[in-house]
Amino acid sequence: MIERPAPQNRKFYESMPAVNPTVDPITGFLNRNAGLQAVARAVAEANSKRSLLVVLWVDMDRFRQVNDSFGHAGGDSVIVRIAERIRSCVSTPGEFLRMGSDEFVVLIPGLDRIGAEQLAGKLLVEIEMPMPIDDILIRPSASIGIALGQVDDYPLGLLERADRAMIEAKRQGGNRIVISGDEPVAGRLGVQLAREELAIESALHAALESGGLQLEFQPIIRQDGSVEAVEALMRCNAHGLKIPPGKFIPVAEKTGLVFRLGEWSLLQGAHCAALLREQGNTTKVAINVSRVQLTSTSFMQALHGALICANVAPELIELELTESLFMDLSATVQGNLRGARAAGVGLAIDDFGTGFSCLTSLKDLPATKLKLDRAFISVLPGDRRAFAIVRAMTQLARDLGMIVVAEGVETKEQLDACTAAGVDATQGFFNACPMSVEALLQWMKSGK
Amino acid sequence: MTSDFMNPSPSVDAVLERIIKANDIPPRPLIIDRIRAAMSQDDPDFRQVGQLISADVSLAAGLIKTANSQSFGFQSRARSVQDALMMLGLDVTSRAVAAISLRQAFPNSGHYERFWDASARIAALSGWLAQRVPKPKLRADDAYTFGLFRDCGIVIMLRRFPAYTQTLARANKDSERLFTAVEQQDYPSDHAMLGCLLAQNWWLPEEICQAIRHHHDPSTIDMFESGLPLASRYLVAVSQTAEHILQQLTGASQTQEWPKLGNSCLRLLSLDQAMLAVLYTEAEELLKSVD
Repeated sequence: MIERPAPQNRKFYESMPAVNPTVDPITGFLNRNAGLQAVARAVAEANSKRSLLVVLWVDMDRFRQVNDSFGHAGGDSVIVRIAERIRSCVSTPGEFLRMGSDEFVVLIPGLDRIGAEQLAGKLLVEIEMPMPIDDILIRPSASIGIALGQVDDYPLGLLERADRAMIEAKRQGGNRIVISGDEPVAGRLGVQLAREELAIESALHAALESGGLQLEFQPIIRQDGSVEAVEALMRCNAHGLKIPPGKFIPVAEKTGLVFRLGEWSLLQGAHCAALLREQGNTTKVAINVSRVQLTSTSFMQALHGALICANVAPELIELELTESLFMDLSATVQGNLRGARAAGVGLAIDDFGTGFSCLTSLKDLPATKLKLDRAFISVLPGDRRAFAIVRAMTQLARDLGMIVVAEGVETKEQLDACTAAGVDATQGFFNACPMSVEALLQWMKSGK
Repeated sequence: MTSDFMNPSPSVDAVLERIIKANDIPPRPLIIDRIRAAMSQDDPDFRQVGQLISADVSLAAGLIKTANSQSFGFQSRARSVQDALMMLGLDVTSRAVAAISLRQAFPNSGHYERFWDASARIAALSGWLAQRVPKPKLRADDAYTFGLFRDCGIVIMLRRFPAYTQTLARANKDSERLFTAVEQQDYPSDHAMLGCLLAQNWWLPEEICQAIRHHHDPSTIDMFESGLPLASRYLVAVSQTAEHILQQLTGASQTQEWPKLGNSCLRLLSLDQAMLAVLYTEAEELLKSVD
């Protein structure tokens, strides 16, 4: 038991903790003012020594909810323990700042990018450990922005970059690390592009784990008005943003996420075919398959897996292949295509006539359908040369035993020209827009 | 492989069976989409999610029970759905809801009662083991969820192909080839792939999906270069060890997985035979409380 001086004694006042104007009383971290000075000193030193400096901006996720649920005293007790956790992760000399109610900054000299990432990772893991408050265990999490010191940096710039990175981490869903893209690399545009790709990549990750992916279906209509097939088009929605396929597919291909997106859409597409069949429509569902996806040796297992899961016959599924596929017809790709065909799955060549069109591919590939690129259709009926090409391609494809579809049909005149050219079916806004699976089922039921 | 297996000649029985099975993919519970939608908002409304869950009494009870279960790794007790939400957070809640709803999502699930019971015990042991052998990135609630979903592909295969029972028996007895390799000899896909696709469809996290897909492959547990996330490798090792402990204690459903994967699992979890023996004893106590 510590002996306490009597309250009326002068000693009593001496025993009171001195109010330290630089320190935050709750956490013992530097307060905002003192913190800014510490940053200024560290930046000046790094500038003069040409040495490394790292700022980590740590912001608690959903902290308001803790305050709302447990009151400010509860909130403070969480902050104290989070501060302890942060401090326990850092073994090298550094400064700890409390910037706001649930915002901390860790300043570490001499740390490089990899070291900073590792430290931030450790912080995330440590902060995430379950924490008891009032009989309840909460699982806190934080968003961390990292900024690396630059040559002739200035203190507020460095802090601002870390803050912006943290806001980005938060925007991406929290509980993650974002490194400020402002480190001196490449050109401005390069940085911006890389940043955009990074943002898209993280959005795709989020979409795959948060229900942000959707397939929409656009009907392909035969000349007699019946539905030949529906094409599944992937939509990605993450953090409240719609990302167009033209943007997310290339990033998905680059990062390997395309395998997961592809498998996801195989199952969803097959599921749609099953729903249509239940309704009495044996309409094929065409699923877009990327070139990268077909380089996987487990592609056929995934395709069959989707068919088995959804309980649909292979004949109800068609794979749409982009022409870029033909740049690289490796043995694996060819094996997968032949395997799919042998199982009874249809193969459609998408966007034919532009880019990498090659008649050899028509000869060698076991395709069942040819989709003429919208570039030929959009200029109909006025452009006689385009019309001649459409008619000739249609004849050629038919001789090869393929069905011909004209893409991008938007007007009655274009439809008539396609009919005159002899195409089997058309797809485009004139017939129907892409729609959700529920809307499609309704549309099929009502006969439009 | 031809497409014939997909379209067996239709007898009356087969047609009837098809109608019963018509509802293809075990449907993702609507509530998961609702929770996910709430999560995508800047300031998720916990109260609303709580109300949605509370509207389904059995789900609410299941969530509180799961949050309080030892396997989920939380020491405190939730007394209400709101407590459970606070403890778990929306993300883990969504996974817990998936775990609770999995069995119900398969129509006529009763046929596979023993299978689901075994899964539940492996899941419980996995969640416990994840706490007993702590590793960075290894979360007890993930280990629990993974344990439940790991083999759900088997039920899908059984529902589609009655003859799969024989393949299953052979795969269980095969001490040389991978379990999935035996399946692939008879079918164009395997239960690990099916389970992975289902887990993706239920928006489970990547680590769990990948672990489901590779849970019979020792090379992915052993090799860092396998490209499998570390968390997935831990999940596989923990659940295989949990299954082994269960088999050791009950003598039930012996398989050849431990001889094939055991060493890799022990290596990854830094366990030796002596420690394993201790775990047998501790697990016995735990199982009594689970059952």
